[in-house]
Amino acid sequence: MTALSLGERLFIQGGIAQDLRADGRGRLDYRTLYVETGVIPQANGSARVRFGGTDVIASAKAEIGRPTLLQPDKGKVSTHVDCSSTAAPMFEGRGGEELSSELSIALQRCLLGGKSGAGAGIDLSSLIIVEGKVCWDLYIECLVVSSDGNLLDALGAAIKAALSNTGIPRVQVAADAASEEQPEVDISDEEFLQFDTSSVPVIVTLTKVGRHYIVDATPEEESQMSSAVSVSVNRKGHICGLTKRGGAGLDPSVILDMISVAKHVSEQLLTKLDSEISAAESREEDK
Amino acid sequence: MAGKPNDAPATYSPSLKNKKHPFYKNSDLDWVRPDGRGFHQCRPAFFRTGAVNAASGSAYAELGNTKVIVSVFGPRESKKAMMYSDIGRLNCNVSYTTFATSVRGQGSDHKEFSSMLHKALEGAIRLETFPKTTVDIFALVLESGGSDFPVLISCASLALADAGIMLHDLVAAVAVSSLGSNLVIDPVSEEESYQDGSLLITCMPSRYEVTQLTITGEWSTSRINEAMELCLDACTKLGKVMRSCLKEAASTTTD
Repeated sequence: MTALSLGERLFIQGGIAQDLRADGRGRLDYRTLYVETGVIPQANGSARVRFGGTDVIASAKAEIGRPTLLQPDKGKVSTHVDCSSTAAPMFEGRGGEELSSELSIALQRCLLGGKSGAGAGIDLSSLIIVEGKVCWDLYIECLVVSSDGNLLDALGAAIKAALSNTGIPRVQVAADAASEEQPEVDISDEEFLQFDTSSVPVIVTLTKVGRHYIVDATPEEESQMSSAVSVSVNRKGHICGLTKRGGAGLDPSVILDMISVAKHVSEQLLTKLDSEISAAESREEDK
Repeated sequence: MAGKPNDAPATYSPSLKNKKHPFYKNSDLDWVRPDGRGFHQCRPAFFRTGAVNAASGSAYAELGNTKVIVSVFGPRESKKAMMYSDIGRLNCNVSYTTFATSVRGQGSDHKEFSSMLHKALEGAIRLETFPKTTVDIFALVLESGGSDFPVLISCASLALADAGIMLHDLVAAVAVSSLGSNLVIDPVSEEESYQDGSLLITCMPSRYEVTQLTITGEWSTSRINEAMELCLDACTKLGKVMRSCLKEAASTTTD
């Protein structure tokens, strides 16, 4: 990846130790966040989020489907991340596949909660139309346009913005729906139901360099990490998912400390993101 | 194949430090686990190394109905297409037999398992000891009875040790399920399908370092604390069971 000389490496490590990073930020500062909603007209909801040089697009598309036999009272959500080779040459062909699947699994873990649906960011039962027969399948597709570190956090923020921009069409079910095997549904193209995104968590990745942790790491800083912990935190301050990256082992007490730092950082990020999303939406309406 | 080494501890359930038994005061007191265990009681663990002759190292693990076999090949020359690397590579592959689950051909997320197995183990392996070469780990779930993944990881680290790959420490893995207000250790498949959340820790017991931690579902910090403590305690005990299995294998070969 990024090849760094010994001098550069020491500069990055030393800067992090002194709470002044190469681009002038402190350890727990984010790069400028930019949100734009409604970027894809064909989708039910979409958003573009930029964290400095990292640029991602998320779109949410709803299609009529059938609920699974195991969970007849719930709709389905699938996430997919596409790392475009325009972002980096190493994503070409199957190169981005591993990263893509890693990211989409991490996102799925953060958004969908446990098997029983507890603690899910997206309420799956709100996607049901006729129990056991018709439901909405929500496809969340993300595209990495440009990769400049901290992809997971950016994708998480983009999905939150895209979902708050999502309108699910109101559906009329034919009167004798209960008896029919595949009831007829009438999808309104004028009335839309707003998606409730208050419980969608944000993801905070803490990258450990030396003895300190930083947020929103650049690729240069990521190359110096010993390990990173991605924590997703919701509005209530509860942890909704956690994954660890990087080989080096961590002491359990360090992990707990990282979780509490992530919780603290997530509050600021949530407030910032919410205000950015509402600003983006008002800009979109003005157009 | 349910025999156990005589000197090994029978189970690796964590010992409760606090006396008040937090799970008894809950309203659902009469709730019993499908196999009749206590909430903080693990299934008896059985490990055996040298299950596959052709491999450099292999191990078989059986915890209740969960049965896995892991073989390790290598270190052998990396594929020609690979770039030069001055540290060794690790290649993990997890697969299920078609008859592993009650519904045939279920469980499509093996790719996730493969990459997670890689992440859980890479921190424990001294990759710098076999530059330019690759170690392949092939894991097969013969029967899925819950907590498949933690069993896989523990079994894989035993197989690595059996193959003589340099390790910092064995890797022991334990999962906890959150069911309502209860924390249930080492869940079986039924419990996993109803769980509100799960927490998985893989750790190196002698170094007391966590190599991988994943959490799903909604957790409060104090609950994470409680679950981590349970898991780490169980990991330490599981590590002892695994160690005694290796010692036993070594003593039989010298006899």
